[in-house]
Order: sequence, then C-alpha cells, then structure tokens
Amino acid sequence: MSIRSTALMARKSLRARLGRTIAIGFAIVAGVSFVVGSFVLADSLKATFDNLFAEVNAGVDLEVRAVNEFGTNASRRDPLPDTLVDEIQAVPGVGMAAPFLQRTAQFVTADGELVTTQGAPTFGVSYSTDTELSGLVLRDGRFPEGLSEVGIDKATSDRERIRLGDAVEVITDAGRFPFEIVGIVSLGNADGFGGATLAVFDFATAQVVFDAGNLADVISISVSDGADIATVQAGITEILPPRTEVITGDQVVQEAGAGISSVISAFGTGLLIFAFITSFVSAFIINNVFAITIGQRLRELALMRAVGASARQVSRMIILEAFVMSVIATLIGILGGIGVARLMIAFFNAAGLGFPPTGTTLLLRTILVAVAVGVGITLASVSVPAIRAARIPPVAAMRPELGFDALNTRRLLGGVIATSAGALSFLIGLFVRPGGNTGLILFAGGGGLLLFLGTASVSSTIARPVTAFLGWPVAKLLRTPGILARQNAGRSPRRTSASASALMIGVALVSAAAVFAASLRDTFVRVLDRSVTADYVITDSSFQGLTPDVATTLRALPELSAVSPIRGAPALIDGERTALGAADPAALGELLDLDLQRGGYEDLGFNAVLVHQDPAANLNLDLGSVVVATFQNGVSVDLTVVGVYADAAVAGNWLISLETLEAISPLPPRDFFVVAKLAPGVEAAFGDSAVRSAMEPFPQAIVQTNAEFREEQEAQINQLLLVITALLLFAILIAILGISITLALAVFERTREIGLLRAVGMTKRQTRRTVRWEAVIVSVFGAVIGVVLGSLIGVALAIAVPDSVIDAVSFSPSTTVVILIGAICAGLLAALYPSYKASRMNVLEAIATE
Amino acid sequence: MTPGIQSQGHAASVTNAYKIYGDGESEVRALDGVTVAFESGRFTAIMGPSGSGKSTLLHCLAGLDTLSEGSVHIGEVDLSTLNDRELTELRRTQVGFVFQTFNLIPTLNAYENIVLPQMLGGERGDQAWIDEVIAAVGLGDRLTHRPSELSGGQQQRVAVARAMASRPQIIFGDEPTGNLDSRTGTEILKFMRAAVDEHHQTIVMVTHDPVAASYADRIIFLGDGKVVDEMLDPTAERVLDHMKGFGE
Repeated sequence: MSIRSTALMARKSLRARLGRTIAIGFAIVAGVSFVVGSFVLADSLKATFDNLFAEVNAGVDLEVRAVNEFGTNASRRDPLPDTLVDEIQAVPGVGMAAPFLQRTAQFVTADGELVTTQGAPTFGVSYSTDTELSGLVLRDGRFPEGLSEVGIDKATSDRERIRLGDAVEVITDAGRFPFEIVGIVSLGNADGFGGATLAVFDFATAQVVFDAGNLADVISISVSDGADIATVQAGITEILPPRTEVITGDQVVQEAGAGISSVISAFGTGLLIFAFITSFVSAFIINNVFAITIGQRLRELALMRAVGASARQVSRMIILEAFVMSVIATLIGILGGIGVARLMIAFFNAAGLGFPPTGTTLLLRTILVAVAVGVGITLASVSVPAIRAARIPPVAAMRPELGFDALNTRRLLGGVIATSAGALSFLIGLFVRPGGNTGLILFAGGGGLLLFLGTASVSSTIARPVTAFLGWPVAKLLRTPGILARQNAGRSPRRTSASASALMIGVALVSAAAVFAASLRDTFVRVLDRSVTADYVITDSSFQGLTPDVATTLRALPELSAVSPIRGAPALIDGERTALGAADPAALGELLDLDLQRGGYEDLGFNAVLVHQDPAANLNLDLGSVVVATFQNGVSVDLTVVGVYADAAVAGNWLISLETLEAISPLPPRDFFVVAKLAPGVEAAFGDSAVRSAMEPFPQAIVQTNAEFREEQEAQINQLLLVITALLLFAILIAILGISITLALAVFERTREIGLLRAVGMTKRQTRRTVRWEAVIVSVFGAVIGVVLGSLIGVALAIAVPDSVIDAVSFSPSTTVVILIGAICAGLLAALYPSYKASRMNVLEAIATE
Repeated sequence: MTPGIQSQGHAASVTNAYKIYGDGESEVRALDGVTVAFESGRFTAIMGPSGSGKSTLLHCLAGLDTLSEGSVHIGEVDLSTLNDRELTELRRTQVGFVFQTFNLIPTLNAYENIVLPQMLGGERGDQAWIDEVIAAVGLGDRLTHRPSELSGGQQQRVAVARAMASRPQIIFGDEPTGNLDSRTGTEILKFMRAAVDEHHQTIVMVTHDPVAASYADRIIFLGDGKVVDEMLDPTAERVLDHMKGFGE
C-alpha cells in the first residue's frame, strides 16, 4: 500500500465518519478560535491605540514636562509654572507653545444626574487654540471659551444624551460649576476613550476650575516651518528650570502607546491563559474520540493489516486523517478567532466603552501559535491511539476479541508517577520558586498540566467503584434504566474517565479559584473587621480618589469625633519601590487599629514614619532609626521611625502624616478614601443622616458604613470568581460536548443491545433515561474529582500567598453545591443528542446490526 | 415427539398478511398473502429458504415490524390498533424473544437478564413461576454471573428463561440454535420442548435446521412470501425428505 493509498483511505474514512469528524473539528476550532481571538483582540487594540496616539499627537513636535525620578510614564508629574510658556515661545524655531492641564472633572446632567463611568476615568482637560497641538477634533458646535462653556466627547454625549446647549454642571476638586455644552469633540477619529468621559475647557478656565493657580501640567510645542526639531529641543533645554525635560513628539507617542499596551498585554495574557486551558481540554476530547473510534474500527484496521498493510501504514493513515482534519479546523479556527475578537470589540462598544474604529491585526506570530495549538494538540492527542492501532494483529479481522488486548495498556503506574511528579513540581513552583516568577510559571504551570494528565489517567482505575457509588441513588430511584445507566457508566472505565476528565479540569480550576477566593474574602473580612474601627468609609466611584474637600466637610460635623483621609505616594526606600500611606495622626488611633507593637500614633509628626514589622526587620529599623525616602519628583526626605505595627492590610508598609506628604509635592492632593468615626453618644441613624446630607454636594463620594464597605469588598471578590468562571465556561462547554460525543459513540456501539432492550419491552422513555443518567453519572464523576483536586490546588495556592493576604484557608460549600448541580445539568445537556439518537433507533435494524 | 396439550384458542395469528418493499419494477413481496394461526401450548417451526419471508413473518408477528396490508393478532389484540408505547408494553408482557445471538445485556447478570422485562415494567412478577423457570434453566450458582462468564448454551438457556419469565402468550425464536454446536443446540431444543410440555408455553421458532424443526409439533413451510406447506408431528427424516421434494 503506497502513500497514495494511505491518503485515499484516510480521506474515505474522514468522509465516512463525517459526524465524528465534525465533532473533533469543532473541539479544535473552539480552542484555536479562543487563542487567535485573544491575540487578535490585543494586537488590534494595541495597533489602534498606537495609531490614535500618533494621530492625536501628530502636531506635537516637542513636549516639556517635569522629570519623574522612577516609575512608569503614566505616573503623575509635578506641574510647571505657566510663565514657562512665554519663555519657550521666545526660543528660536518654536512655532507655537501651548500649556495643558489634565485633572478630573465629572459631568452632572441637566436633570441633576451624575455621569458615572463604571471605573473608567473622568478626565477634565484644557485645549489649545492651536487645535493641532491638543489633538482634539471638533465634531459639532465650537470649542468652549470662557468660564461658562465646556466641550464634551462624542461617546459620552451619545451615551448620556447630553446635547449642544444643555446646561450641565461639572464637579472638580475645586467645587461644582455650572456650564453650557457648546462643543462635541473627539480624540482624533475616536469618539471616546475606553468609557472615559472628557470635559474640555479653555486653558484659563481650566486653571480656575482645577484650582491650578498659574500652573500647567505639560507644555506642547510645534516648531516653525523649516526649523530642525533637534536644534529647537537643544535651545529649549538651555532655558528649562531644573527637574524639567523636553522630549520629542515621537517619544510622547511611544510612551503613551507603551502605557496602554502594558494594560492590553496583561488583559490579552489573561485571556490567553484561558484560551490555552480550553485547548488543553479540547486535546482530551480529541484523544478520547480517536481512541474510541479506533476501537470501533478494530475489524476494519485488522482487515487492512490482513490484506497487507504494514503496521506503520495503519498508524500513518490515522495520523494523516488527524492531520488533514486539524489543518482544516485550524484555518476555520483562525477565521473564527478574528470573529471572536470583532465580537468582543463590538460587545465592549455596546457596553459604552467607545473604542476607536478598530482594524483587524493578524500577526504571523498569531498564525504560528494557532497552527501549533490546532495541529499540535491534534497530533499529540492522536499519537497514542495511532501507535495502539498499529499493534492490532491481522487475525483480529476474524476474531475481534484478540484485537482489544492490543488496545489495553497499563495506565495506573504511569498515572501515579505523572500525578506525583506533577503535584511535586506544582508545589515546588509555588513554595520554592526557583528563579523567581519564571520558575513559578514553569514549575507550577507545567506541574499543573502533568497533575491533570496524571489524575485523568489514575481516575480510570477508580471510575468503576466511584460511578457505582454515584449511580447508587440513580439506580434506586429509576430502577432498571437507572441500573443500566449506572452499569454502563462503569463499563468502560478508561473511556468514562477520559470524557469525565475534560470536565474535571474545568471544574478543578473553578474549585481552586473558589477556595482561593473564599480564603481571600474571609481573611480580608477578618482583617477589615479587626483593623477598621471607623464607622464610615467614603470612597469614589471611578477610583480616581476624592477631593480633600470631602474630608474637610466631614471634619466640621459635630456628630463625628474623628475623620482622616488616606492618601498615598510612590517612593523609593533603600532602592526598592514601595508605597507610602498618609493619614491624619490625630484621628488615626480612633479610626484604624494597626496592631501597634511599639511607639504611638500621636508621635507621627512631621517627617516621622510608622513602619510595618516586616520591612522594619528587613532594614533593621527600630524606634528612632532614620530611613531615606525618595519621591517621584526627586525630593528626598529623612523619615524618623516613631512606631512599628503588625497589620499592613489598610495602611500598607509605611505610614506618614498628611503634613509630611503635602510638603513633598505641589500636586493637589487626592484622597484614596476617607474614614470617619461617630462621636460617643451619637446614635447611628442620626449620624448616618448627618454624614449623608453633608455629602450631598459631592455626588461622586460614596458613603458606606463599616459593614456596607465590608460587604462591597466581599462582593468584589465574588465577582472576580464569577469572571474566572465565565472565562472557564468555554472549556466546560467543550467538555460537555466531549461527553456528548463519547456517549453518542457508545450508543452507536451498543446499537444491538439497545435494540434487544427495546425488543424485550423497554420504552423509548426508558431508553432516553438510561442514556441521560449515564451522562449525569459521568459528568458528576468528573465534577467530584475536579472538586477534590481543585480544592487541594486551592489550598496550596492559599497557603503559598503571604499571610498578610491570606492567613487561613476557607472553603466555599455553596460553590461546591452549585458545581455539582451544574454537573447534573451538564450531563442532561450532553445527553440530549445521544439519548434522542438511542430512542429513535429502529428496533429491527438495531437487532440486525452486526 | 408427543404433541402438547391442545389449546382452547390461538395465541397469535396473521390474516392476509402482505409486506411489500419498494414499488413498480423493484417491488419485493416479502409476505404475499399469508394467513396462519398458532395454537396456544404448541411448538411451531417456520421453515423456508432464504428470502422466503420467514423472518419477516416472525418480526411482524412480534410487533417489531408492521405489515403493508392485513392484520396480526396476539391473543385477542389487533396489533395495528396499538401505538408505539402500547406495542412496547405488549412485547414486555405478552411476547417473549429468543434471538440467534446477542440475547443478553452484557452489564446485567444472568438473573437480572431473566427478570429484565419485569424490571423494565417495574413489576415484581410471579415469583413462584420465576423460581420454577430458573430451576428449569439449571444454572445454579452461576445465576449471578455476567453473560461473558457463561457458555453459549447457558446464555441461550438464560434467553429462553427470560422469554418465559413473564408468562407471555407466545415466545418467538429467531434461529435460537443457529449459533450453537449441535450438542448445545439439542440441549436448548429439549429445554424449549419442555417449556411447551411442562409449562404450557407457546413457541414459534424460525429455523433452517431439519433436526431443530423436528422438535416442533408442527412445521409451516414458506416460499416466496406464501405458505406452501405444513407438516404435523415431524421427524428430521421427514423434514429432510420434504425439503428435497422442493427440489433444492
């Protein structure tokens, strides 16, 4: 038999088993689509934003700004005096120099509704009369001028139905101002910017509403025609004050692109992890389906051997079948991935994120990874079945029972070894972390994969007793169909465990996430419970912080005995980047319990610091020691340690006074949140209404009682778990598909048996029931193993993170119950087609089947 | 062989039965106007060359297949009046089956296979009768064994026992000894004979083996979809002679 005849046989086989081919193809397509979709989405967004930044900054040749000592380019910078503009304008070759301000500003609609963004920033910006420099494009109306006019971005205008001529209010840190909408603008060709809102003022108005005095954040510069940018740059450098720099427009574009691309990359990587999990699950399904169909084709393969095909030709034929199928499926998957990416962008846009018109970026790298995933996992999945097929002796054509011996391999030993090695590697990755994060990913990730493979393998040896146990109530409840379902589930343990394993992986990951989230949540709640002694927590809706006026207003209330804002600033201490918290020392003791070991809150004076015991021990600090903190603007301060505390949950590792922080930077302060305590004797209801009415002028401030705040934190962790589950849903759906295919193949195999049952009096309903409950037993089997394995992984994860994050392991019984109910539903869903197939079987034909 | 007890009526009958596949040129008449009745408590064999329609007749009698024209009665019931659920019910309670191969559910043990129809119906069944049938099967302690652990003869005995367990109006056998060696085949035939003689079962069996047919009380010969002859109290020699008479 030549290569050509092998190819012919492979082709015929693919066509003859079209249903199976489509099912396997679907598993490949799903995995590849998800992988490609993740890449295309991230790459397309990156390219779009790069283009957008280039477009917005097209007119900017140079930019002057304060130097930041460290940190990302997105970090805030100290402002510059606006008098610098005239000096720069005087430099030869400068065409136009325009100052810009960018702070926060929130719209209130004409109906008095605060415009919220679900976490996206609310920008307030100034524009320049030279619109080339500000990158804003007027879409309707005109640019605002003076203290009563404001412009708005088109996306927000469309979403909130804010129209030209509307009387709105704008809330800034300096207060609440009435404005009229006179212009609708876009950033280049983008209607909006990822759900953010944009309020546009002329520069002088911006200085007023932002209370920025005579300061500007940056100064954008265009050079006059024919001037050399580098020469002008050198000229400007000469006149700049210290700690100020001038950079090129290209660098501005590049830095902005890098900033957003790190966010997009993180997002893309997150998606990619789930995409690979989906592919891994697909591999299980593909492997299982091939293994089963080879069992079913035993006689055919043996016949080929009998008429002269070599063992290699048999395995080659099977591999060729898989290869052809995977190439086609991968191509479809690449197209599907582009579709997935477009769909997600459309979905984000529908949710009001207002992405700019996004092209589709398909990089060569994406195609290569898609091929590696699609073709790679298929060939890897089929290699073992193909080798086994080659071992089928020719005599099996006449006596099929002889062939099955060739298909049975010892799995237990390999499974146990793989499971142990996987678990060991996983634990080493988590706890030893050889080589830092790389080691963590390599050992824990690789170990995880091995662990899953091993467990899948081992589970075939326990499939029979466990399904018998799980099937017991089914058999009791449903009598004969139940008994048959139970026995069918335990009939081919290898097959049962393989189809259950796909589900096991999805469930294990959900369970691990559930244990981790429950532990995190419980620790968090315990910590908050202990460390926050304040009665109220005031936060803001867009994570930009609050104006200091909020704390000032609260301080004036007689119903409150203590009020403190919590601020923060990045700093370098002993060469390491860290964050310094800042609070009001006078009120601190009443509001937070940092579990102070030495010193006192009241000692936290100017240039003093409270330090957590861990960094204190690392740096050998004690009361009276001095540490040097360097801030982003280059200011260095000697801080004297006046206390050591044990609870870093709220304050972080370092805590200074507000006074110390304010002396360091002229940046207007913003408060992360504000905590407040009721004065003794004030009733809660009374205090509540006092605080809430005091906060009425600040609609951006969210007032929560201590308990409400805690509940919200819990809800956020629960939401995270939900998102993870949603992302795993794709893998779980493929697993359900896998159970469905396996079962359909089993039904096909048992045609005669089903025919016999029907002949001796089984009703169609009973037939459907038998198949249905077999599916349920198989999926619950997978779910049970998944819950057990996943919970163990979750426990390991919870122990591996520092005690300050998770100090005790908690389980989530409700999640487990939901998973098990979900598994029953998954089984019912998987059984829809096979049970229909089984009950529709013609009794006579079924009996006559060979 | 002695004839069984004469019955009061007919366990099953077909009247003017036609089964036609295809039409026009390619029309095949598997049954071409068959009228035959099977008395209760007797053992009938249906013989005929391949394509004579004997299997089709059996399948239609058992409610596994439907006629193109004509009627089938099991006891007093006209099968054409039954829907799928009622037919299933009838198969479970009024009819027993023994096929040539693959008679047993591999996941159930011998005992469970015997009581399978009752289990499917959620009934206890007549325990005394079932015990009697099981005693007749003579499996002893092998009752809890799976089919794969039983010999071919034992498997067929279990199949006959299952067919008897619900005390059906009639038991149909589709070449029940076709897949067995002659010694085991004889063992099954004797078992079936005993079921008729001692337990008053009605059995209709399709076979092409003259020896097997000689265990019956009556043989019906089919040819080209028609009843061509009938023989009472046959012996193997007479059957063989008869078949030679057909010029085969």
